[in-house]
Amino acid sequence: MKKLLLLGLMFCAVDVGAENMEVVGRVESKCVITPDTSGFYGNPTPQKLDSDPTSGGVDPVVRYDVLQANFYKAKISYPIAWSESPTLSDTVTWVGDVETSEVSVAGMSAYNAAKVEYDNHTEFNLTLAGSTWFKTETNATYGVGKAFPAGNYRAVVVAECIAQ
Amino acid sequence: MYRAVIVLILCIISNSAVAHEFTPTYPKLKQSYLEKVLYTTMILFNARKDVNYYSVGVFDENWEVVPFATESKLISVKHLQRKKIDIYIRERDKKRAKYICSKSKIQVSGGGKTSIVSRICSKIE
Repeated sequence: MKKLLLLGLMFCAVDVGAENMEVVGRVESKCVITPDTSGFYGNPTPQKLDSDPTSGGVDPVVRYDVLQANFYKAKISYPIAWSESPTLSDTVTWVGDVETSEVSVAGMSAYNAAKVEYDNHTEFNLTLAGSTWFKTETNATYGVGKAFPAGNYRAVVVAECIAQ
Repeated sequence: MYRAVIVLILCIISNSAVAHEFTPTYPKLKQSYLEKVLYTTMILFNARKDVNYYSVGVFDENWEVVPFATESKLISVKHLQRKKIDIYIRERDKKRAKYICSKSKIQVSGGGKTSIVSRICSKIE
């Protein structure tokens, strides 16, 4: 009889201690922009700052994740001005290029051929669901044969994801 | 196909510590408590450690600014915080308003670096 009572108490204790905890989630169409690699300008010659690894730089990389195909387009703009620099008395010539550097779905490698370029902008239609890494090459040349003044230089790459 | 979606979801979850999200993709304008004023609610998720502020804007199809009202056009969103943002638009601007965008604001610091500004635009249905 005592054993039966003890068993009943054990079940009772379990009932009191147990609680249901919910973890809820939702999957919806969305675009996620993730800065993957911070860029860095190398200074291969006194008049040039270049993100190319062969010039001692690092190309900035940004990753786009889209959950559904054909919902978004990516628009990436390479810099055409410094956001931080010493005072400059001459013009700076900017050159840049954006292309895919890694893809999660093989078909995304066609994005490079279909990209649309204008001014400093490059647009890609994200026609496949998955992740795409875009690399931006950027370099700046100061005046004609002039050396960049010493100081900190910083430029901004704009990565946009626009619903279609 | 399902495998690719699962891999993508896992990828987003595992790497979401540095990302910017702005949903829904296609927001709908609803009647607000004010006459002739419509509103929609957007959700901004900041997983970028380097960003604490985002700006919000409403634009037409030519990317001209459309007047709107919100709590603040410059919004403080801490790392890993999810914030609801109510956007109010005049009923007469309903046909003009096409995009609602959020844009990260970066801090000035460091040298010889490139920063990445992220901007996500949703399209009003």
